[in-house]
Amino acid sequence: MRLRRIIEVGLPRFVAWCLLGFLFVPILVVIPVALTDRDYLSLPQDGISMEHFAALADWSKGWLPSMLTSAGIALACAAIATALGVAFAVGAWAAGGWWPSFMRILLLSPMIVPPIIYAVGMVKLWARLSLLDSYTGVVLVHVVLALPLTVLAIGASLSNLDQRLVQAARSLGARPMTVFGKVILPNIVPGVAAGALLAFVASWDEITVTLFITGRAVVTLPRRIWTSIQDAVDPALAAIATVLLVVTVVALVARALIERRQRQQKL
Amino acid sequence: MALLVIDDLAKTYDKVTALTGINLSVEAGEFVTLLGPSGSGKTTLLMSLAGFTTPSKGTIRLDGKDITHVDPEDRNFGFVFQGYALFPHLSVANNIAFSLRVRKWEKARIAARVAEMLSLVGLDNLAERKPRELSGGQQQRVAIARALAFGPRILLLDEPLSALDRMLRETMQKELRRLHRETGVTFVYVTHDQEEAIAMSDRIAVFNHGRIIEIGPPRGLYKKPSTRFVAGFLGENNFLSGQRADDDETMVEAFGTRFGSTYVKGRRERPGDSLTVWVRPEDIRIGQATGDEIGFRATVVENSFVGALERILLRTATGEEMVATLRSEVAVAAGQVVDCRIDPSAIGVLPNEESHP
Repeated sequence: MRLRRIIEVGLPRFVAWCLLGFLFVPILVVIPVALTDRDYLSLPQDGISMEHFAALADWSKGWLPSMLTSAGIALACAAIATALGVAFAVGAWAAGGWWPSFMRILLLSPMIVPPIIYAVGMVKLWARLSLLDSYTGVVLVHVVLALPLTVLAIGASLSNLDQRLVQAARSLGARPMTVFGKVILPNIVPGVAAGALLAFVASWDEITVTLFITGRAVVTLPRRIWTSIQDAVDPALAAIATVLLVVTVVALVARALIERRQRQQKL
Repeated sequence: MALLVIDDLAKTYDKVTALTGINLSVEAGEFVTLLGPSGSGKTTLLMSLAGFTTPSKGTIRLDGKDITHVDPEDRNFGFVFQGYALFPHLSVANNIAFSLRVRKWEKARIAARVAEMLSLVGLDNLAERKPRELSGGQQQRVAIARALAFGPRILLLDEPLSALDRMLRETMQKELRRLHRETGVTFVYVTHDQEEAIAMSDRIAVFNHGRIIEIGPPRGLYKKPSTRFVAGFLGENNFLSGQRADDDETMVEAFGTRFGSTYVKGRRERPGDSLTVWVRPEDIRIGQATGDEIGFRATVVENSFVGALERILLRTATGEEMVATLRSEVAVAAGQVVDCRIDPSAIGVLPNEESHP
């Protein structure tokens, strides 16, 4: 009986923990590595050191500028992709018929086509348009890659919205812009926020296409990391990974807490 | 002049005809119901009145002014939707205030109007609730208050009671009648429920296959329908075949006998031509015929108890079946042969639609 209990309950539990460990240990290992006292990727030997975190803040090392570059590009990309996503999703939702679903498939194609193929195409096109290694070029490419995410997130929000709300608002005297601002938008705020966040993250960690279309002028954070891995195995990499990890965990915990408070308020 | 005049309206989608040859005038303050089975065009007409559907042909005039192509937001018609379509992000009070804010009323005036509307529909204490926190009946009241808030002259209602249970539906019917009376607003009401139409309307327009078959007050349509469709759609009815007597042009033959009918005068049917005869279940009685009454014998095929009434299915000697509703104290059993009687004035006669389409 005891053996059976171990097989039925203990074994699945053990496997589950192993899987979780497999997922998280490689991520967590960056934390001790970031604190190493050596100048190559390693675990701390004679005590821990904060020098690699200090290096991040040093403007001349290039980490801070590339972080700002990435943040700027990601913000611009999120803003543009969200605006376009809202415009398309709301238009398709209101119009109905066959063409919105056709357009949706076209819009989702950047998700389906492998980024490397897309990258090769963009190099040719941007070279002709003189957009290689320019902020505009990178933002435009990121917008195209993020658009499917915003359209999907906003579309999901809209699919729960009663189409007749538009007719109701118009019968009450609201013109189309008022209907959009006072009726549709307030009801899809969660989807718009999710879409914007997804677009920001997609741009923030985009590397494949960015590698092809940037050079010396535009250095995003993923590109900076990529270059530093090739040049030397700098523990600052682990430090930056740790910073990103902490920011993500803080954001997730904050979201969970806010949601719990909202639920309690509703009850 | 009528408030709303619909002239020769038609709507076709690709090759499907949704509406054709619609002529209807609605007087100010009237309660007009568009009644018909689903797909009969009644909702298409309502949507055309609201401006959500553009007619393919014909005109809609309000006070003599052509509004056929005016945007919905410029028509100033209230609209109550099936399923209510309340704004989920706004409180009850803000739902009602929506049309007033759009019209840029002053704050104090909006507050006063919202309070007035809330008390009109009896929801004074629910002003701050969100729609999802309300019952179906309460949401319905909010939808009506919202549609009436800006003072429309016409209120369009699209099957507003179809989502409610039976008890609530009857309460809301009375409520709508009261609101109609108190506000003096013209109501155009769409339903497929003939009992609802009969109970509430000043006039009913009966729709079928995209056309208005007949228009009239409920009593008139029920007692003197001029088409077989209306005779069958409004209330329960029995149809039997009859014919015009070949020797006396005022007589109709049916139920194995003959009786005088005012219907046959001046008709196209010639003596001997077949006719459709109808009689309502409540007009068939059990017992020996007296005086002018028509008497016939019939077998009780089955009977079922439906509360105050007993519904029985009868089969005549010629094999025609008909339903009769009797007061429950009359005891009959299946298989029994009974004497039936009908007052001839309760019998309706219609042209036979096969021979005169």
